[in-house]
Amino acid sequence: MADSFIARSNRRLRPFGLTAAEVPIWLGGLIISLLWAAPFVWMVSTSLKHSNEVMTLNIEWLPPHPTLENYIRIFSEYPVLRWGLNSVVVAVISTALSVLSGALAGYALARLRFPGRDLLFGLFVASLMVPTEVCVVPLLLAMIKIGWANSYQALILPSVGNVFSVYIFRQFFLKFPNDLEDAAKMDGASQMLIFWKIAFPLARAPLIAATVILFTLNWNNFLWPLLITFDDSMKTLPVGIAAFAPVVGTHTQLEGFAVGMAGITILSLPSLLLFLGLQRYFIQGIASGAVRG
Amino acid sequence: MSQQAASLAERRPTDWVAYLFVAFFTLPFLIFNVGPIIFGAGIAFTKWGIFGRPEWIGFKNFTDSFKDVWVGIAFRNTLLYAVIIVPGVVVLGLIFALYVNRRWPLSSLVRTLFFSPNVVSSTVIGLVWVWLLDTQFGLINHYLGLIGIPNIPWLTSTQWSLIGVSIASIWWDLGLAFVLFLAALQDLPKELYEAAEIDGVNAWQRLRFVTLPQLRPVISMVITLQMIASLRIFSQVYVMTNGEPAGSSSSVIFYMYQTAITRSLFGYASAIAMMLFVMILVITVIHRRLIREM
Repeated sequence: MADSFIARSNRRLRPFGLTAAEVPIWLGGLIISLLWAAPFVWMVSTSLKHSNEVMTLNIEWLPPHPTLENYIRIFSEYPVLRWGLNSVVVAVISTALSVLSGALAGYALARLRFPGRDLLFGLFVASLMVPTEVCVVPLLLAMIKIGWANSYQALILPSVGNVFSVYIFRQFFLKFPNDLEDAAKMDGASQMLIFWKIAFPLARAPLIAATVILFTLNWNNFLWPLLITFDDSMKTLPVGIAAFAPVVGTHTQLEGFAVGMAGITILSLPSLLLFLGLQRYFIQGIASGAVRG
Repeated sequence: MSQQAASLAERRPTDWVAYLFVAFFTLPFLIFNVGPIIFGAGIAFTKWGIFGRPEWIGFKNFTDSFKDVWVGIAFRNTLLYAVIIVPGVVVLGLIFALYVNRRWPLSSLVRTLFFSPNVVSSTVIGLVWVWLLDTQFGLINHYLGLIGIPNIPWLTSTQWSLIGVSIASIWWDLGLAFVLFLAALQDLPKELYEAAEIDGVNAWQRLRFVTLPQLRPVISMVITLQMIASLRIFSQVYVMTNGEPAGSSSSVIFYMYQTAITRSLFGYASAIAMMLFVMILVITVIHRRLIREM
């Protein structure tokens, strides 16, 4: 080990601080990670090609004659704007309701004393064992019976009770210092006031983590919106765009892949941008939510 | 810290306002998440369409499902998905995490790229991979052709469709496993490696005898999470193949969807979902038991 240590310090490649033996490993990993993201490049590149340049045998990574015709077509011929609006309404409201109610519940579970507290938390944790797919058929039947099919409330309400939100706030408030709370209590502040004025404004990290993760989850939600929306005008973006997939078996592609790739480029932009901008919160939130979950 | 907070709380009187705090979450949770589970367990024993009243038929949905050849295919395929996707995600996720954990130049870019497919919708995953795996014009077959492999009908043949969907799923799911492994690696105590360095251990031995044993809890957790996720596979199948050709890529949830939507057999669909739930529970319990005995 000692001589390899000396060798390492002697043969450092100046710019990167790597030894000669490490360079191939470093480059190999770098190339694999670029290949890993290449499908996104191919998606955007295809969406910018003329439709007659797509289904060809020669592979061109850069569109030879870049065009926006696929985007123009998708916006003019399909209700993509309406689907996008539905998705925004559903994802924003579901996420806001989840995060606010989760913060309140997480605070109570961590800081307040009341009979049934541990039982309630136990119920939340136990519910994670049941896959959501078990709920969808009975929920669909119930929604149809009460006339809520094709409605925003049917799209929104079932995704509010996401336990992840409670969990991440509870974790945060368990580590919250008592001093602030005690001082406020001395002044006769109520628990509600302490929560809104002191605890919640300080919970920036779990707030951002829960918001970005739940927004992405709600934005991408597929099975439930697919089941509950029969009317084209109530579809969300992922469900609407999914119709651009070719029909396998006969394997005909009516629209050509160019328009479909334009559709999924639009669909993936919000979550990809959110992820690139707030990556730290995504990764911390996921790691803290699941590792100790 | 939490102990301290808990003991402080013990001395306090009951905070009745807490029930108001939890109500905003608990009410929608009970109505839309717990309620349907109980309701679903009930309708699994009925015959119920969109119109008309439920008819109690006891275990008939379950006994029917044993005779239904498509249920058998769906369960077999779902297990095959798990058998392909879980090792793929765990092994690749671990390799990628070990690489990024070394902190190379541009490591954070690499981390971003490895995780990025995880944040997009199944529609994006499905469509982009249908295009990549296209038999005639797809990128994958093009590059395989360059090394002499003839065109593979990834999504259009009964032998390949399940593998095609699995490849897309591994690409989609890997990010979560990768991040969990990376977080665990970064939590490992440095002293362990210092001790190994003094003992003159090479890189392979360090991985085999220091890192991997330390990662056992997180590896087992990722296997459990990914197994449950893979057994629930639906949207990729829906977008990429519609279960075709000849049901060769169908899954349990996909068949449940078809039963409910195209045939309006809500009781039967619920029974299928319940059977999957029981299968997931049994597999999870067996897996946990095996881990403990190892």
